[in-house]
Amino acid sequence: MSRIGVFVCHCGTNIGGVVNVPEVVEAARHMPLVAYADANKYTCSEVGQASIRDAIREQRLDRVVIASCSPRMHENTFRRTVAAAGLNPYLLEISNIREHCSWVHSDSKDATAKAIDLVRMAVAKVARHESLLPKQVGLTKRALIIGGGITGIQAALDIASAGHEVVLVEKEPSIGGRMSQLDKTFPTLDCSACILTPKMVDVAQHPNITLLTYSEVKEVRGFVGNFEVDILKKAKMVDYVKCTGCGTCWQACPERIPSEFDMGLGSRPAIYIPFAQAVPNKPVIDIANCRYEKYLKWKETEEGPEPPQCRICEGVCPTEAIDRSQKDEIITEKFGAVVVTTGFKTFDHSVYGEYGGGRYPDVISSLELERLMSAAGPTGGEVLRPSDGSHPKNVVFIQCVGSRDDKVGRPYCSKVCCMYTAKHAIMLREHDHEVQCYVFYIDVRAGGKDFEEFARRAQDETGALYLRGRVSQIYQEGKNLKVLGEDSLIGRPVEIEADLVVLATGMEPSDNADLIAQKLNISYNTYNFLIEAHPKLRPVETQTDGIFVAGTCVGPRDIPDCVAHGGAAAAKVVALLSQDSLTTDPLTSIVDPMKCVGCFACKEVCPFNAIDEQVTRDKRTIASINESLCKGCGLCVVACRPGAVNLRGFTSQQLLSEVLTLVRG
Amino acid sequence: MGSDFTQQIRDKAKELLEKGTVECVIGYETGSDGFSARPAFIYEPAEVERLVFDNTCSHNLVKYLLNKKGKPTAVIVKGCDSRSLNLLLSEKQIDRDNIFIIGVVCPGVVEWGWNNRSDQLQIRCNWCRQHNPVIYDFLVGEPVTEGPPDDFADIAAMETKSTEEREAFWREQAEHCVRCYACRQACPGCYCIDCFVEQLDPEWVGIRIAPEENLMWNTIRAFHLAGRCISCNECERVCPVNIPLSLLNRRIEREVLGLFDYRAGMSEDAVAPLITFMKDEKLGIGE
Repeated sequence: MSRIGVFVCHCGTNIGGVVNVPEVVEAARHMPLVAYADANKYTCSEVGQASIRDAIREQRLDRVVIASCSPRMHENTFRRTVAAAGLNPYLLEISNIREHCSWVHSDSKDATAKAIDLVRMAVAKVARHESLLPKQVGLTKRALIIGGGITGIQAALDIASAGHEVVLVEKEPSIGGRMSQLDKTFPTLDCSACILTPKMVDVAQHPNITLLTYSEVKEVRGFVGNFEVDILKKAKMVDYVKCTGCGTCWQACPERIPSEFDMGLGSRPAIYIPFAQAVPNKPVIDIANCRYEKYLKWKETEEGPEPPQCRICEGVCPTEAIDRSQKDEIITEKFGAVVVTTGFKTFDHSVYGEYGGGRYPDVISSLELERLMSAAGPTGGEVLRPSDGSHPKNVVFIQCVGSRDDKVGRPYCSKVCCMYTAKHAIMLREHDHEVQCYVFYIDVRAGGKDFEEFARRAQDETGALYLRGRVSQIYQEGKNLKVLGEDSLIGRPVEIEADLVVLATGMEPSDNADLIAQKLNISYNTYNFLIEAHPKLRPVETQTDGIFVAGTCVGPRDIPDCVAHGGAAAAKVVALLSQDSLTTDPLTSIVDPMKCVGCFACKEVCPFNAIDEQVTRDKRTIASINESLCKGCGLCVVACRPGAVNLRGFTSQQLLSEVLTLVRG
Repeated sequence: MGSDFTQQIRDKAKELLEKGTVECVIGYETGSDGFSARPAFIYEPAEVERLVFDNTCSHNLVKYLLNKKGKPTAVIVKGCDSRSLNLLLSEKQIDRDNIFIIGVVCPGVVEWGWNNRSDQLQIRCNWCRQHNPVIYDFLVGEPVTEGPPDDFADIAAMETKSTEEREAFWREQAEHCVRCYACRQACPGCYCIDCFVEQLDPEWVGIRIAPEENLMWNTIRAFHLAGRCISCNECERVCPVNIPLSLLNRRIEREVLGLFDYRAGMSEDAVAPLITFMKDEKLGIGE
């Protein structure tokens, strides 16, 4: 026979103000199997906890019900309390008489009756609790970082510096990400490349970091501490051991393809590095565009006219580093933790018909302007109009393009656009003193250290005219663009003749962010931004243990935030990898092998891939739970028709005891 | 039709047994009344003459495959039966490699008659849209064109009643139920080793044969078949007290068809809608 102790908390007046606590205690004393009941002013206080520990010892209690706040609040605290008195921590049940009772009811009599019912249910449940023991599993002390932008770079450096091995996977031929495309950074106007490239070089040189560029994560198996990841290494067609990065090949290559790095404003050869400071500073052959590769492809079918052969790169390479025998290769590596830093892309503004729908060459995106401003960009840092190469004098900026706009399905604020537009206005004026900037905005959001001052500087010092309102139409008139808008502060239509229009395109997650999330079993929202475990308290963790997220793949943020975020994720990874073994939560599902028929409905519904197949001694294939992966969500329990799956701590027997106690009174 | 189909089945069965492709052919033979078919298990080539096929071949033989796991077996399936075979394949209950499927284009099956051959088609054949087997290794008969989509007229008629009338109707049916579990034993989708109704801890359904417990039994069984029932209606056929179980099963079948455009058992690798999730799925509930 159990001896159950019931401890009812006043929680100051939070509970005691509505619920008649002494009455609940008195009722509890008469419940089946209850050996002891008492009340506390604040059960979570040291005094309250001590009274529970003393009662367990003195009254020889073997199960405990604490009627207090939500178990999300103090269940762990109280588990430690009962454990300190020698009880298994899972022989405890919290009855939530605060959030579920006193906070939502005002009638004291009814609330007290309900509190008594809740306590009676908890007593019925805890009577069927069992001792549960956590398990220990080993872990691989290596981290995988997906995405080599500034966030991934920061996370990689921090984890590696803590002494753990890191593999950084980047799908492009170079790390650096979006930050490497930027010219200057707000609000200090330091050159983006100047502060980024040293970090990129650090990554390349760090003894604990393995850099896998031109690679993608294909599949992820396993669980926290023990992930197994298939990584696709795309064929670079260049032997990086022999290649010295001398540049002879990419200078000699006759092919010209619009440069992705320059947002299509410049061109690049088929054997290329994306930009001068690329890390690794060795080229890849773009197979889809290489003349010789196209010829080889033609040769397979001999359909259509014969394309020219080339192989100039092979001829000029002084170290014979071109290796066309390379094939795409999939490698499998083990990791203990994964950090997702897949970053963002800018919103495609061609959906805005009123801004020209992408038809006007002189209506450009902010990232295109960055490339035009960059000294390493297609125009050598001279801001020239894409249409005729002239210097623009009247430049119109339009804010919130693909941000804060329900019409295009992007209701969120992209956070950085107000600031980078201020930067653009300042920089354009610095490039050419005759430039007049006009900025159509909704609000200027400049929350951040030195941000407001910077935004003011754009307005006050550079003479940029900030017009509060939306642009209704842009059309081409002769060589220039006519911008029709409204200044809503003075309530008048505005018409501006512009040489160049820059659209402050918002952030959205990189292509395939949702696919990566699916591979990793982490959640994403309707815009494909990844979802953190808690937006405030667990900002870099996910609901899947061992998978962390950081940077703009989680939501729009600027460079300082990304660096902080990457560092935060690194700290979490380091904390995880510093352990010698991991303790698993025993509140997992279990399969009754005698009842399981092996239909594997549980496997279909399991969001954590925690169901394995197992063959019994009588040769039946049945389900078994991987306790390291199981989160105890209970979906499998619901899906199982014969009730072969049960959730420890919430077994069908325990829950039905609660329900039956309630209905039978 | 009958004799021709019968001959084709006998020839195929003989070939399979002689070659040793299968150990057993599960088919139909003439029962003790001289005309009604009953299940037959043929192990020897010499015995294939027992096999028959006609419009009294009502039983869903797929159920017997569950007892033949790991043994090469041939089975004769009609259109509806073939869907249950797919169901069991997709739920990993049987192994395709061990099964030889003799599909028969179904002429429709008749009600069982006492001492005289009935010519009354079973109600399931009225709503059947799968006279052709959906999976088979050997086909008997020429595939026929299926009729227009089922209008679920029986369900619509039931729904013209008020909630109270329907409750009264089902309570009445539950009073008739003797909990013989014949419905479950005939159902190809009911293959659990330990059915919930026979579990004592937790006791999902009270063990006493009382109307409210019977109602619980029939309702839960219907829900366990949601998105899985292939409407062979064997449960209703075998019910000794004539509970119209098709009204329960087909109500859910219509719901699943409407919500997910899904019919159970149409392919061997289908994932039932209730155990899968699609990002864009709309349930029409609260949306």
